[in-house]
Amino acid sequence: MTAAVARRSDLRFRIGLNLRSIVGRAYPRVIGANREPSWIFFEAVLPLLSIAAYVFIYRTIALNQVAANPVDAPRILANMNALVASVVLGGAMVAFWLNVLWSMASQLYWEKEIGNLQLYMMAPMNRMALLGGMAVGGMFMTSVRAVSTLVAGVVVFGVVFQVANPLMLLAVFFVTLVALYGLGMFFASLYLLWGREAWNLSALMEEPIFFSSGFYFPLGGLYQSGGWGSAVAVLGSIIPAGLGLDALRQLTLGETAFGGKFWVLSAPVELEILVVLAVGFLILARYALAYLETLAKREGKLTSRHQ
Amino acid sequence: MSTYWRTFKTAAWLGWQMDSNWTEPWLFVIYSIVKPVAGAFILIFMYVVIWSINGIPDPHSFAFLYIGNAFFIFVGSTLLGTFQVIQSDREWYQTIRYVYISPISYYVYILGRAFSKIVVSVFAVLITLAFGVFLLGSYGVQMQLSLDRLPLFFVSLALGLFVLLAIGITLGAATFLMARHSQTLAEAVPGVFYVFCGVLFPLTILPSWGQAIGEAIPLTYWFEITRRILLPFQLNTGLAGFDDLEILAFLLVSTVIFFGLSIGVFKLGEYLARRAGKIDMTTSY
Amino acid sequence: MPYAVETRDLTRVFAGKKKHWWRKPKPNEEESRGPVTALDGVSLQIHEGELFGLLGPNGAGKTTLIKILATLLLPTSGMAFVAGNDVTKDPFPIRQRINMVSGGETSGYGLLTTRENIWMFSQFYGVPSKVSKARIDELMHAFGLWDKRDAKVRLISSGQRQKMNMIRGFVTEPDILFLDEPTLGLDVNAARTIREYVMNWVRGQSGKTVLLTTHYMAEADEMCDRIAIIDKGKILACDTPENLKRMIHTQTTFRLEVDPLQDTSTFQRMDGVVNFSLRDDASKNRTELTFILENEAPVAEILSAITAQGAKVHALRKTEPTLEDVFISMVGRGFE
Repeated sequence: MTAAVARRSDLRFRIGLNLRSIVGRAYPRVIGANREPSWIFFEAVLPLLSIAAYVFIYRTIALNQVAANPVDAPRILANMNALVASVVLGGAMVAFWLNVLWSMASQLYWEKEIGNLQLYMMAPMNRMALLGGMAVGGMFMTSVRAVSTLVAGVVVFGVVFQVANPLMLLAVFFVTLVALYGLGMFFASLYLLWGREAWNLSALMEEPIFFSSGFYFPLGGLYQSGGWGSAVAVLGSIIPAGLGLDALRQLTLGETAFGGKFWVLSAPVELEILVVLAVGFLILARYALAYLETLAKREGKLTSRHQ
Repeated sequence: MSTYWRTFKTAAWLGWQMDSNWTEPWLFVIYSIVKPVAGAFILIFMYVVIWSINGIPDPHSFAFLYIGNAFFIFVGSTLLGTFQVIQSDREWYQTIRYVYISPISYYVYILGRAFSKIVVSVFAVLITLAFGVFLLGSYGVQMQLSLDRLPLFFVSLALGLFVLLAIGITLGAATFLMARHSQTLAEAVPGVFYVFCGVLFPLTILPSWGQAIGEAIPLTYWFEITRRILLPFQLNTGLAGFDDLEILAFLLVSTVIFFGLSIGVFKLGEYLARRAGKIDMTTSY
Repeated sequence: MPYAVETRDLTRVFAGKKKHWWRKPKPNEEESRGPVTALDGVSLQIHEGELFGLLGPNGAGKTTLIKILATLLLPTSGMAFVAGNDVTKDPFPIRQRINMVSGGETSGYGLLTTRENIWMFSQFYGVPSKVSKARIDELMHAFGLWDKRDAKVRLISSGQRQKMNMIRGFVTEPDILFLDEPTLGLDVNAARTIREYVMNWVRGQSGKTVLLTTHYMAEADEMCDRIAIIDKGKILACDTPENLKRMIHTQTTFRLEVDPLQDTSTFQRMDGVVNFSLRDDASKNRTELTFILENEAPVAEILSAITAQGAKVHALRKTEPTLEDVFISMVGRGFE
């Protein structure tokens, strides 16, 4: 060909290309929130409903326990605060998990349906930059939503948090998010080959994961139940939200909350495991995407059957 | 009448196909059951944890919430079934204009589409209840259903489902005019019912304004009468002053009112959507 | 000098529906979902700077070929090169130099404006934001979309959307642009704007190549330097529009408008009939017959065969050969 051949492929160009791609793909997610201010009601206030339902369950039972044993009231009420706080933290984490399921895992399937996927796959950027952009945008937006839920939960339910080690708390939070979104990127690759099954699989990973990862109760309770309960908890811990929440609860409620007997592992050990999960999921996502892209190209599944 | 019946049957068949044809029927049934059962497990472990932490059991509260949660499966699926029809036909399948202009009642068509979801949820409710009775007896889940209370149970169940359909269609009519958020509405409305209708805990735990909201929603009476029939004990729910027949009468009257309301609101939603040219709008993309 | 696009014996077979252990095939499913050969030994060479057309009816394999060239689909066998690079082994350098626009595309995000959507896609090609925005503005003027620059994509018409897609294709300044039915469903004015821009883009600068698929004869005739006629995955002919039409210049084309016919098999057996096609016009309850004849001699025999069936001839005219006539002459049917 002619001089037009001189398209660049050096490292500097590739880094620039992929950074631009991340920003480009994150843009619709970040801008979307400004364009649709109604999300404040729908996505920050509404999750409070399910949180409220679980909070009232703990309150009802705790008040009955106080009535049955008034002498023990201070301890029961302190435990109630810790449980309510656990629910509020879990409710905030739900926002991230739902974002991972619906805006990461199912996203490539959705992009395929609306016709974007083939345009992405035809572009020269690295596919991880595409997923990275989706993750960065999703993380940013969902953090805003999760914080609103958290603040609303604290204000409405009067939860008291005690943070002794804010740096550790930030580290756990950040690593949990990276691991969660790494898992989302891995799922996104797997979902690439599926059709409507992908939607159903995401729907199937709501309640069962809320349960097995202890979104609304300390995960240690499930670990210590023995038999299948422990097995489910171990499986649920593969979802980074499980150990992440456990560590966050330890760091915001104090290690002695619930009598100190419902923690899975210590927070530093959980952080180490989360780091391993984060790195592992990102590597898995990288290879799964490359493999499945080739497979999809071979089987002709990069474009929707509706097109 | 035969047109209504044919519409209902065809719509129910279509609803079943749309929900289930991504996989084999048995896999679909398992899928439909796993979600609600996992939801029940969350409640079980919440109870186990608070019991274990404080060392004091509260079997009546647990049985109360377990039964309420099992019947709540109907609420989620029926409301989703009705909301989803307009949204999915319009935005996703883009068939609404063809169904809408056909000489059938679109109202009956929505009922038919929702019916398939109700049928599937019957399995989920039965399995959740059976699991509770047979495996969670030691935690306090008990049920009784004497023969003489059977007619009352079925009448209240039918009324409960009717009122759910009516609420679903009333709110679904709003989706004629809504560009977005109807999916969120489908999740939000059950969320409101979950908190304010005495599903998991007696209304008395709510602040007085919350209790007032609960008492204004017909489903509160459905959950109350269902538990009165099925549980061998009663908790103070704030409705103790009413006997069974009075509760049933509240449910009946509100069902009739909501059915009338649903037809009126549906026609209004239709009219406004046609006037604004929104019957077949697509906005998702 | 390598070609802009070259394919050698390119074949693509789509496998039938896979069997899974958990699902029983439905009756007749095996037959209906069997393997389909979308491309069958296609060999093509497209020169740099050419506006090359791929003309064929729906399902001929046009889109499959474009998808392979755009690195979206792998061939089953054979080879394809874009800008000298193998589509299977070396997609990255290809992607830097191509872009693709399809007709009826619904890509983009509804909550973004037209400009933002195009800018976003340009980022995936590493176009600096400033450069991208300047190009977008220029292209928006050229395509008459400037008024809609800040309109959200979900609120614009399908014609405006297609113009936005075209701008998305041009904004990265590709060397090779694949246009898959770019004017599908557009009104006359929008289609003309797009056609003119594409022709100026290729001919007004050096080194730009367009591969255009279409089933609109006039569009292919007007725009393309060369055309390949494709049917059932095979290239039937490849030449300039003039040469293609010249292939049948010794033949004569007649069009007839008649009442619906019971039997058309007799036409094929008549001496002097090269090929013919028929198209029903339900609105008039008539059938349009197009005959490619060696000479005018069989016309009388054709007319008597029609009247023998009790059908009336409403119109008969001799016409200049079109690309569709070339297709009919080769395949024995029209595009519809």
